[in-house]
Amino acid sequence: MDQFLQHILNGTILGGTYALLGIGLTLIFGIMRVVNFSHGELYTFGAYIVYLFAMVLSANFFVSLVLAMVLGVVLGAAIEFVLLRPLRGASIDTTMLVMIGAWIALQNTEQLVWSGVAKSITHPFPAEPLILGPVSVSWVRVFVFAVAVLLIVGTHLLIHRTRLGKAMRATFQDRETAALMGVNIGAIHTATFALGSGLAAAAGALLGPVFVVYPTMGDLAALKSFAIVILGGLGNFMGATLGGFILGFVEEMGAGYISSGYRDAMGFLLIIIVLVFRPTGLFARKERVG
Amino acid sequence: MLEIDGLHCRYGKVSAVRDLTLEVKKGELVTLIGANGAGKTTTLKAISGLLAPAAGRIVFDGEDITGAAPRTILARGIAHCPEGRHIFPDMTVQENLDMGCYLRKEPGGIARDLERLFERFPVLAERRRQMAGTLSGGEQQMLAISRALMSRPKLILFDEPSLGLAPNLIETIFEIVSEIRAQGVTVLMVEQNAYAALELCDRCYLLESGEVTLSGSGEELLNDPHVKAAYLGG
Repeated sequence: MDQFLQHILNGTILGGTYALLGIGLTLIFGIMRVVNFSHGELYTFGAYIVYLFAMVLSANFFVSLVLAMVLGVVLGAAIEFVLLRPLRGASIDTTMLVMIGAWIALQNTEQLVWSGVAKSITHPFPAEPLILGPVSVSWVRVFVFAVAVLLIVGTHLLIHRTRLGKAMRATFQDRETAALMGVNIGAIHTATFALGSGLAAAAGALLGPVFVVYPTMGDLAALKSFAIVILGGLGNFMGATLGGFILGFVEEMGAGYISSGYRDAMGFLLIIIVLVFRPTGLFARKERVG
Repeated sequence: MLEIDGLHCRYGKVSAVRDLTLEVKKGELVTLIGANGAGKTTTLKAISGLLAPAAGRIVFDGEDITGAAPRTILARGIAHCPEGRHIFPDMTVQENLDMGCYLRKEPGGIARDLERLFERFPVLAERRRQMAGTLSGGEQQMLAISRALMSRPKLILFDEPSLGLAPNLIETIFEIVSEIRAQGVTVLMVEQNAYAALELCDRCYLLESGEVTLSGSGEELLNDPHVKAAYLGG
């Protein structure tokens, strides 16, 4: 029983960052109809930025995290502006190929700049874990979870309470009519891609100090993001949030009770099951973007 | 107020509108009638900027708006209430109306307009927290019209506002359109229901395969033998 509780706790904590990754990807797909293969690279980028500032330049750890998120937003906006804006109206296949190109280019840049050797980031949290009755969790993971939840809630509020969020939802539901309302669709695309990228960078920045940082770390993160988005239904904010937590639980349970070697396979097994029985995702069409 | 001169619109290689010239004067209610595919919706889309014309000029209030972005055209004072209502289904009634005044910056004026709309359409006030997709067809059309009015347009484009509504509701919608004109908003309306369109309007243009084949006052067109035979059921 204690072990079960421990797995639940670990799954929840892991799920928070998975949800961040999923929300970013699902917003980009929902609003822009772009399958963002570079999503994982934004995750890697976030982790390396923290490494750059916290380890190489010895800046404050928390400041480095904030910088990673901000620069993730900036990089996302730049990618949208340079690569996607000229392709507006192009077929989804075209944008998909371009994003695959961006993925390869970004990953090789990381390899070139940082070499293939894994780097670790030290964090200022105490080494001894937080003990809660029968279970325990490291302080850095508690922090990661808290920030992830804050970002999820913040994104939710942004989408539901602000003028920008309303325009994003309107664009998602009916692009042409949103344009008739005076929404600048191009600006909404840039904002959406920047926001989605910022969330991916935040996930990478948060998990970089927990694991290690290496150039291909984004590949698995991207695959998992796709799994979460498929699980939750494309373009579905709530679905991506819950999907992230479900993936966290399933991985943790699979690793705990079956074999830790199959941890990453568990999520994909889950996707196969979901796609067989509910091809539109678990929460499709209940609540779309927002 | 609105002058269109030699407008051509194309979807790929197919011409949808050819050499269309029309004029709407301030305070008028002008209708465009014609069969399916005659180019009525295309004309409205060209005016509101959803579609870039292949040739021709669209001038509004003395300013050339040909090929401008929809938001620029909206800011000049043209609202487009699209065919099939196109409300945002997963947003509340209130949020739909908020989208209608997306470009407006004066909260006081917006609040006053909202109050006036809710007085005129109490059902929208009742349902303001409800998702727009759950409204009935007639309510959705009222919402679509209200949303277009929230931008405080000088000219409003209606595309088949009666489409898919029950006969008694169609009458209500046409009454609303007349009211809007009576309040000083100029109206350009596309309507398939030729009889109603001709009854209601000051002037009317008949579109056939992308060209204006006839124009005149509603009465003139009502008595025209070709219109009678082809559009008014003999």
